[in-house]
Amino acid sequence: MRSGNEPDSPAQPDITSLIPLVRRVVGARVHEATVAEDLVQETLTRVLATAPRVEPGLLESYAIVTARNVVSSLWREQDRHRRNQHRVVDLRPPDPPDTDLLASEEQGAVTRALAQLSERERHLLLAHEVNGRDTRSLAGEQGSTAGAVAAQLNRIRARLRVEYLLALDNAEPPTDRCRPVLLALSGGDRRRQREVDAGRHLLECELCARLSSPLLERGRQGRDDEVCIPIHSDGDIVAARQAARELAARLGFSRTDLTLIATAVSEVARNIVRFAEAGEVVVELLERPRPGVRVVARDTGPGIADVEQAMRDGYSTYHGLGLGLPGARRLMDEFAVASELGRGTTVTMTKWRRR
Amino acid sequence: MTPGPKLVSILRQGPYLIASVHTALDDTQMTRFQEDLIEQIGRHRSRGVIIDVAALDVLDSFATRTLRTIGEIARLRGARTIIVGIQPEVAFAIVSLGMSTGSLETALDLEEGLTYLDGPTWREPDRARAAR
Repeated sequence: MRSGNEPDSPAQPDITSLIPLVRRVVGARVHEATVAEDLVQETLTRVLATAPRVEPGLLESYAIVTARNVVSSLWREQDRHRRNQHRVVDLRPPDPPDTDLLASEEQGAVTRALAQLSERERHLLLAHEVNGRDTRSLAGEQGSTAGAVAAQLNRIRARLRVEYLLALDNAEPPTDRCRPVLLALSGGDRRRQREVDAGRHLLECELCARLSSPLLERGRQGRDDEVCIPIHSDGDIVAARQAARELAARLGFSRTDLTLIATAVSEVARNIVRFAEAGEVVVELLERPRPGVRVVARDTGPGIADVEQAMRDGYSTYHGLGLGLPGARRLMDEFAVASELGRGTTVTMTKWRRR
Repeated sequence: MTPGPKLVSILRQGPYLIASVHTALDDTQMTRFQEDLIEQIGRHRSRGVIIDVAALDVLDSFATRTLRTIGEIARLRGARTIIVGIQPEVAFAIVSLGMSTGSLETALDLEEGLTYLDGPTWREPDRARAAR
């Protein structure tokens, strides 16, 4: 009771005299100097707050117990932290700062792409995609068939994809061939792609090569009867002939024919490395008119001045045997070379599966 | 050397070298193989070389020409080169391609190749051909 009536003044010196004691108690348990000092301060604050209510003789023991409690509550805290640490790990990457900007750019691109479509096309597309109307009811409205509407929608979507890519890239196609080529790629129309010679255009036109990659990837989904191997160095020759062999094997070619195909691919791919430095070999399986494999080797090299001469045995412009083209022709069933000086060469060859 | 598994192994067996190609080689690797082999023929003073190409599924014009070059160089250095293990369809492809392979000596497999080198058949093919 006496302590309660005592003013704060005698408690002050007591507290300061407690400091070494508290330091010792805390220091024995916590080794990190800064943490220990924090705990010492906290202990002293608590002791100071309760000092008036503690009997003077017991203040020392009270300080010791308080110090121990502070330390153990720190340990408890650390333990809880460690046990729960995994909960605070946020596995979702934070939104990058440019998210909003990209979203608005994308929206702008879609808007501009939609603007390129005609009023009727836009109406049809929105009715189907946004309002969820099925092709049959749309067909009834137009007086046509569901199939025709679906085909129309496909064409519009292909168009929209091309316009979207152009708008997103803020690019205007440099040549008047670009748009037809991109459209053919976007629609996945193989016949049309061949008509506009899409493969060659992609090798020549930097913009289309860049824009077409998402279109091609999209087309490749669910299509595994075609492989395209870019040719830049020796190693690609081996990769090309192995890919051709693997693909053709699926069609049930004999081992002999597979070897002939692989050897022919090796020869035309080597021509690309030797003369043009860069190009591609596309291997594609054919179903019609009968099962077969078609190999198209394209490059953007200097071109062949005299194709007929190059096809003759023994003709060689580099230190080789001059067997590249004529040799490959002998291995395949069909063989055609198209070349333009300064633009490049395309070799197309086909092997039919024997019955 | 290239990292990873060896593409080609060249073993010394008495006076002979046995080179086995384990996997498809690109042109650069093929050329390096040629250089390595020629170098070893000289170093070991080998009298015969067997090149086992059983693992190759394609011998195109470049590979065939390289084998021919090795054979010629080895011959000039006093060693005889036998190519063994050419797969039947590979043989067909080489012929279809129109490669001339007359200067290449061949045997069916490694064993045949060694017998061929060991036996008293040295130069015999030539004599047999001349007698005919």
